[in-house]
Amino acid sequence: MEDPVISELSAIANYPYDMLREYKRQGRRIIGSTLPDVPEELVHAAGLLPFTILGTNRPIRRAGALLPDNSCSLARSTLELVLTYETGLFDGFILPQVDDTTQHLSDIWRRRIPSSFFEPYLVPRQVDRPSSRQWLLDETHRLKESLERYTAGVISDGSLRRSIVLYNRNRRILRRIYAMKRKTPGLISNRAFFELIKSSMFLPKERHNRYLEQLLPRLEQELPSGRTRNLRFVVAGVVWEPPSLMTILDELGIEVVGDDLCTGTRYIEADASTDGDPVGALVDRHFHRGPFSPIHDKGNRILANLLDLVRQHGADGILYLRLKFFESQDYDLPDLKREIQAQGIPIYVLDTEYQTIHLAQTKTRIQAFAESLPGGGT
Amino acid sequence: MTKETGTSKPGAREIMKRLTQDYYGEAARARQEGRRVAYTTAVSPAELFVAHDVIPVYPENHAVMCIMRRMTPTLSAAIEKKGYTTHLCAYARSDLGYRELDESPIGGLPDPDFLLACNAQCFTLTKWFEVLSRRYQAPLFVLDTPQYIRNDKARRNIIRYVEAQIYELIGALEDLTGRRFDFDRLREVLTLSREACRLYKEFLDLARHRPSPISIFDVLIHMAIIVYLRGTPQAVDYYQTLLEEIRTEKVAKGIGVINNERFRLYWENLPVWFKFREHSELLSSYGAVILTSLYVHAWSYDFDPSDPIRSLAENYTGVFSNVELEERAEMALDLFRRYALNGNIMFLNRSCKAVTFGEHELREILTRETGVPALVFESDMGDPRFYSEVQVKTRLQAYFESLERLNI
Ligand code: SF4
Repeated sequence: MEDPVISELSAIANYPYDMLREYKRQGRRIIGSTLPDVPEELVHAAGLLPFTILGTNRPIRRAGALLPDNSCSLARSTLELVLTYETGLFDGFILPQVDDTTQHLSDIWRRRIPSSFFEPYLVPRQVDRPSSRQWLLDETHRLKESLERYTAGVISDGSLRRSIVLYNRNRRILRRIYAMKRKTPGLISNRAFFELIKSSMFLPKERHNRYLEQLLPRLEQELPSGRTRNLRFVVAGVVWEPPSLMTILDELGIEVVGDDLCTGTRYIEADASTDGDPVGALVDRHFHRGPFSPIHDKGNRILANLLDLVRQHGADGILYLRLKFFESQDYDLPDLKREIQAQGIPIYVLDTEYQTIHLAQTKTRIQAFAESLPGGGT
Repeated sequence: MTKETGTSKPGAREIMKRLTQDYYGEAARARQEGRRVAYTTAVSPAELFVAHDVIPVYPENHAVMCIMRRMTPTLSAAIEKKGYTTHLCAYARSDLGYRELDESPIGGLPDPDFLLACNAQCFTLTKWFEVLSRRYQAPLFVLDTPQYIRNDKARRNIIRYVEAQIYELIGALEDLTGRRFDFDRLREVLTLSREACRLYKEFLDLARHRPSPISIFDVLIHMAIIVYLRGTPQAVDYYQTLLEEIRTEKVAKGIGVINNERFRLYWENLPVWFKFREHSELLSSYGAVILTSLYVHAWSYDFDPSDPIRSLAENYTGVFSNVELEERAEMALDLFRRYALNGNIMFLNRSCKAVTFGEHELREILTRETGVPALVFESDMGDPRFYSEVQVKTRLQAYFESLERLNI
């Protein structure tokens, strides 16, 4: 039987907008941001409610006239969501830019979606030299000042540090559950676990922490469910979409033991320091996270990180989710795949997209890959 | 190209041929002569390489040559087999395909010792050059130019960031060659670059005349030099000769690209390279001539040699592909006004997300502000597989009919 906390958070992960409307009615001001890497602690410390807008699987109606159809479905469907489906919910937006698509998305969004607050967040697209840290520090201070102007308030170091503590706590519990999941296969389903993370991107952290604090001791006491888990996978890519993919892995008895997704590890890894300058701490956290395909770094960190995850967690293979028209992955993949295979690690590349409906084939393919692995046959 | 320049006395065209040969010859000999080769992006502070005697090589330029020879489908097929997709930029596909098949219109490019990707132009180049950097085990320097948003504070920070990176780049060049960087030499190079850019801009501005002595097709041919030889005295001489030539042979005599000039067009985006000759002929049959685009203006920089690092940072960050949509629209509207344009062809280029993704919005602004309707069509700048002849012809015809009806 599923834990009530898990069911509740899963429901929110799958449709957070009723909840959001409730907060709006209560007078909360909501700041939506898109992936990746917005320092939500700043938004929180400004007394605003940060919310990550993660696209929709409902049909694209209006975004198609603004962004060509060879742009990635994450960008298009995120735009569609605020244009068509969940209008009037957000007071403001922060749009990070990491590539051509997000740069244009930011312009289009600013022009098309009415809001009383809008900032692009210009994250460094190289992180291999010292200049990038100073830049992100400048840019984060600019964001902070802009939020202060918007709220006509001051984000004090004290309040920012309190937000950091709150967010660190959230990340730590989620990492702890991830560790337990690795250790005790079947303890929590892939879908349930990653929906814990997703719901954290939606809910106020105070409330999410309360949920997690109820759940954690229950998970700690629980014995392995007895479900068989044959295989351990590392999942690579950008987002867990469509969500039924997680269910497919659950049904196939595959335990996800590591990932480099924006809606997975990238959201919960690394804490910000609670000592010293809190803005600097948020900036440092940015640099302590794993690699992300659009951001240039020394060497091939994406490869190194995946190899590391596989070895560290004894994974049987890598499932690479290739988001259609997410250009950056298309440049990485041929070399990445070759190198991974050269290391004797099986990898399966699955083409994904928002608005995907037919998943029967997908299941068959993943199953075929799983069965081809040593220990994968039944 | 239409007939007009072919008949002129030996001049700019010949010089260009020779300069191009010399340049590629020099690049090919670099290894034997113990010189370093750096791959770089068309929009990048190449003056630093020139000043440091490192030879800048432009894979984009080579890719254009592959496209013009219609080699792209074959080159692309070779890398599609390796898992790259057809929706990547046709320059990247041509280039990576060339490296697979070793087929090139000019006998290939020297391998890089160093790579520089400046992302003011696009993000694609960073990823494409990452592939090359792995292939040749040569260091890649990404010069990150955040979008030049219209916010004073952000702009000050951005310039500071780009300046800091230019110093890092200078350090990387010193490591590459083991030589100290010479800032006096950089000032000289920047002075030459400023002069070439000024002349290049004068050349572009010849399109103000009525009838215009140049079309964008002339510009597309003559822009190669400003892309890969800016910072050299040869580039300055070349544009001087070119200007004199057009002034005496065309402007002074009132000769235009076409006799019955009726529609003076703006072109948005890069050209459909493999079609541009045909486009020019087709258009002239309607009394239409494409005069300009923001793309060709991307190299009309204005450097200040007395403050070289800052000036490099500002010029390369503020390029049209890296500013906010509204500012880009203002840049285009400035061309509409200055060149008295009365038609607008907007090409949605599947290859180039960086220039294309804002185009629907851009169209709205341009149409609203100029009252000139836009013809929008989708294709690819380098891959004939995405080009539909019939569609383009019918659309063009319908477009000019509607301009006639509107009496524009
Ligand atoms: S055509 Fe566009 S995407 Fe391709 S290299 Fe040039 S700017 Fe980049």
